Amino acid sequence: MSQRYGVVVVGGGHAGTEAAAAAARAGVRTLLVTPDLGRLGQMSCNPAIGGVAKGMVAREVDALGGVMGRATDASRIQFRMLNRSKGPAVWSPRAQCDRAAYPLAVRRILEELPELEFFQGMVDGLLVEHGCARGVRTRGGREITAECVVVTAGTFLRGRIHVGGEAGRGAGRAGEAPSIELAEGLEGLGLEVARFKTGTPPRVDGRSVDLSRLQRQDGDADFPDYRFAHYVQEVLPEQRPCWITWTGEELRRVVHENLERSALHGGAISGEGPRYCPSIEDKVVRFPDAPRHQVFLEPEGLETEELYVNGLSTSLPADVQEDFLRTLPGLEEVVMTRVGYAIEYDYFPPHQLRHTLELRAVPGLFLAGQVNGTTGYEEAAGQGIVAGINAALRVRREDPWVFERDEAYLGVLVDDLVTRGVDEPYRLFTSRAEFRLLLRQDNAVTRLGPAARDRGLLTSSQVKALTRRLAEEERVRVWLDGARLSPTEATPVLEAAESALLEQTTPAAELVKRPGVGLAALHQAAGAPEVEASQEAWRSVEVEAKYAGYVAIERERAARLREKADFRLGEGLAYGDFDTLSVEARQKLDRMRPDNLAQAGRIPGVSPADLQNLVMEVRRMRRRPAVQASEEASGVPEPVETAAE
Amino acid sequence: MTTDTIVALATPAGVGATALIRLSGPEAGGILQGLAPELEGLPEPRRATLATLRDPEDGEVLDRALVTWFPGPDSYTGEDVVELSTHGGWWTPAQVVDVCRALGARGAEAGEFTRRAYLHGKLDLLQVEAVADLVDSRSSALHRAATETLDGGLSRRIGSLREGLVALEARLAHHLDFPEEDDAPVPLEEVARQAKQLEDEVRALLATAPEGVLLREGAVTVLAGPPNAGKSALYNALVGERRALVTEVPGTTRDALESVVELGGYPFRLVDTAGLRETEDRVERLGIEVAWEALGRADLVLYCREWGDDSAVPPELRDELGDVLLVPVRTKADRAGDEVRGPHNERTQGEVWVSAESGEGLDGLRDRLVHLVFGGLVRARGEPVLTRRRQVEALRAAAEQVGAFAGALGDGVPADVAATHLGAAGSHLEELVGIVTVNDVLDVVFASFCIGK
Repeated sequence: MSQRYGVVVVGGGHAGTEAAAAAARAGVRTLLVTPDLGRLGQMSCNPAIGGVAKGMVAREVDALGGVMGRATDASRIQFRMLNRSKGPAVWSPRAQCDRAAYPLAVRRILEELPELEFFQGMVDGLLVEHGCARGVRTRGGREITAECVVVTAGTFLRGRIHVGGEAGRGAGRAGEAPSIELAEGLEGLGLEVARFKTGTPPRVDGRSVDLSRLQRQDGDADFPDYRFAHYVQEVLPEQRPCWITWTGEELRRVVHENLERSALHGGAISGEGPRYCPSIEDKVVRFPDAPRHQVFLEPEGLETEELYVNGLSTSLPADVQEDFLRTLPGLEEVVMTRVGYAIEYDYFPPHQLRHTLELRAVPGLFLAGQVNGTTGYEEAAGQGIVAGINAALRVRREDPWVFERDEAYLGVLVDDLVTRGVDEPYRLFTSRAEFRLLLRQDNAVTRLGPAARDRGLLTSSQVKALTRRLAEEERVRVWLDGARLSPTEATPVLEAAESALLEQTTPAAELVKRPGVGLAALHQAAGAPEVEASQEAWRSVEVEAKYAGYVAIERERAARLREKADFRLGEGLAYGDFDTLSVEARQKLDRMRPDNLAQAGRIPGVSPADLQNLVMEVRRMRRRPAVQASEEASGVPEPVETAAE
Repeated sequence: MTTDTIVALATPAGVGATALIRLSGPEAGGILQGLAPELEGLPEPRRATLATLRDPEDGEVLDRALVTWFPGPDSYTGEDVVELSTHGGWWTPAQVVDVCRALGARGAEAGEFTRRAYLHGKLDLLQVEAVADLVDSRSSALHRAATETLDGGLSRRIGSLREGLVALEARLAHHLDFPEEDDAPVPLEEVARQAKQLEDEVRALLATAPEGVLLREGAVTVLAGPPNAGKSALYNALVGERRALVTEVPGTTRDALESVVELGGYPFRLVDTAGLRETEDRVERLGIEVAWEALGRADLVLYCREWGDDSAVPPELRDELGDVLLVPVRTKADRAGDEVRGPHNERTQGEVWVSAESGEGLDGLRDRLVHLVFGGLVRARGEPVLTRRRQVEALRAAAEQVGAFAGALGDGVPADVAATHLGAAGSHLEELVGIVTVNDVLDVVFASFCIGK
């Protein structure tokens, strides 16, 4: 095996596998190095993919040709469309997965890619030459050179696990060794480092749970064929229910009495934890008035009875965990199979990155996933694919692909990380997106598929499937544009929707705007010839037509934001010299180094007046040709401005 | 990178006993030292100091002036500022400005000082407008409103509206980002109710706008009525100087006369017009046309008839005015007997009796005018006031979007879709305080400034 690669990816979790696969699909020879090839795409926390905002990301990753959607389809043992009582922008697919089947599917999908190779090993150093990444060194001294390196080390960098009552011990996940030399190597490059913490709940033996006392939650019966994946149809496994129970007064007492034995609350851990995913200790302390908290028992897989106790993440000692589990209705006799724990780990504050996830300080070195201060499989996968794509484009000497905030949740995610930084583990919400209505799960493929195809990031079979899907939508649109329904034709549909009946023939595009009126139903009522299109194609066209007015408002606002994004700020601007800016703004801009005015405006501490001054300073600089010439020679790019003028 | 230093005469050229010259920029201190060599260094900051100003070319004395040194950032513009109070007139101030130029300053563009203050974060856009209002203010009420805004009152109010909007978006975020299976959903009716409340708050501020805009522009108050009804006499009495020609001959006023007057502290644009009647006189007919034109833009009409005149208000005038208030005024009250004036006389009820001759009833008329036009402001004294159409438009658009959001929720539009309106409302509010502008809004604001401010 030759040791020269285009891209080498360190880590085989959700970020690493997507990064490696993306680079390989782009035709770049890629190596994935990870300590355990049996755990590619391991689910280290809850056995589920998707959810609000996260489900959209999983679909975006798939639309870009990624792995996550297919692996989810192939291993999903329960599917629900969350938020169905709300609107189309927040419909959120979520799947419970078979924890054992998911990594197997990931490995199978990765092995379809001829450009991708694998090597099991622990990376303990980075090769850097003239300030640029040149490859990695594995324990044992093997050197692997590559043009780009993507580090996706998850929680392994100086990871320490805490269970109450025991001394913290180094680990990347339960039972796996932490990565210390790599952390030191990265820090040695002059990167800023910080600590975060997160936690997992215990797991229990389902045979010891009295399920008859729990509330059963089945998947959605009306989405039998829903798939995350757009391009390849995996075989869907059989389904399993989840189970719901609630904490009560008794659990609160047990937790309260043992608070000082908690690693999280006893002061053993210093890092910041996620507010939106609190441990049971946090819930009890911070919400003393809440009478009960919901607990989901999630199946671990088809081949096991083990259950994951979602909602009770903790760092209390094992005996206390078993005690409080037994206060839950139906779990009086429960047998705990795995202990919950807290983990703290290094991350690199993401303002050090470009929007491609390449480190500003080390060209060719990319960081993706939890190392950037995020949580969640989907956030990790999303960053992985962004880093993998851009590493490959760099190897191919092509322009990077920076995702915009009105283009994808991936754009929101990366932009938030890079321009705002993080002060707690970052997860996506739909509320982080200002153009929620444009970034729907149902249109991920039309938003991102064509652009991915045009950049040569899809395999030929993916391109074929994309073409088919786009043609379906086009056929629905063509029918919709010309369709008109007579009062008689429309009556059954309108009656069903309790909508006023027609007096004259009316375009279908008008009728579909009425609440409860569906496009497919109108098509059927019109008695029009069959349109060959999938349910999802119908649905996507329907949403765009139904909310056309609103979609137009968002597009218009997005266009205004893009105007500001077109006002480019040069890479080497000497913000410190801009006397007309406030001191705070100068420092923040110097630290964050935004690419354009829109990004600058999102940096906390940069006021409207600062923004205004920045425009003036940049323009003034541009008007000084003599000085400009020498600055250009030293690599200061000409600021480009178009619509912002 | 540094900015250049600007200079301008801040007071009107040629008039006044003293003149104020302002310098702002990095060279302001140096120029002061060049001008006033005897000072030996810079004077104590923010303290008026007497100094002899000389032309450094030949050492000739330009003036003895009071100079004040404001080192940045604690100055009006945020830069180093020097203010020179020289003697007034045409010659001296112009000489001093010329010397400042020779010493490296550049003549300021219109509004450039305030622009710099804005750019240094000293003022927000609303405060910039308030500065213009202050400079322009011809009534104590506008002065008060402008002072309040300059003090940040309006900005704070807009800020609190934005906070209300953010709170609303936060409730919605909770609704949208936590699926049904989670605990504690947010009832959408509650969100819709809060939206209505926010809309009401925006509309309450908007309600100050018609009067606020009149505060800046003056309420156009047209004196109309039949010929020889004493309109010009009343006009003169209200204006306080004899501007309109008053005779006993009906049809004397041919043109519309207009004066800005302060009545009870509020600005009115009084317009005296030709009496309305059929006439063969070509000039008088032109005058009547002008009167109709004035009535077309009136905010308020004083319809004057002398006592004993039984004519009704012409229906075509009622039609022309629409919603515009018409105050019936009985003139020449001094000539009427008590029996025709009392409240028992049904025919003249609600009419205001005045006499330009004796001054009787004028105070009551002034009070009534202020109450009719600016009653809301009188009651809401001390509250922020909108004085610009730009502010009104942005706020109205914001109110409409927030209202549309509540309405959409009521119509069963999904919350995530309806939320589009909140995003748009936020953009409008941001525009108002100057967050989204790159230059367009600014250009509009700064275009209305005179040099030196």
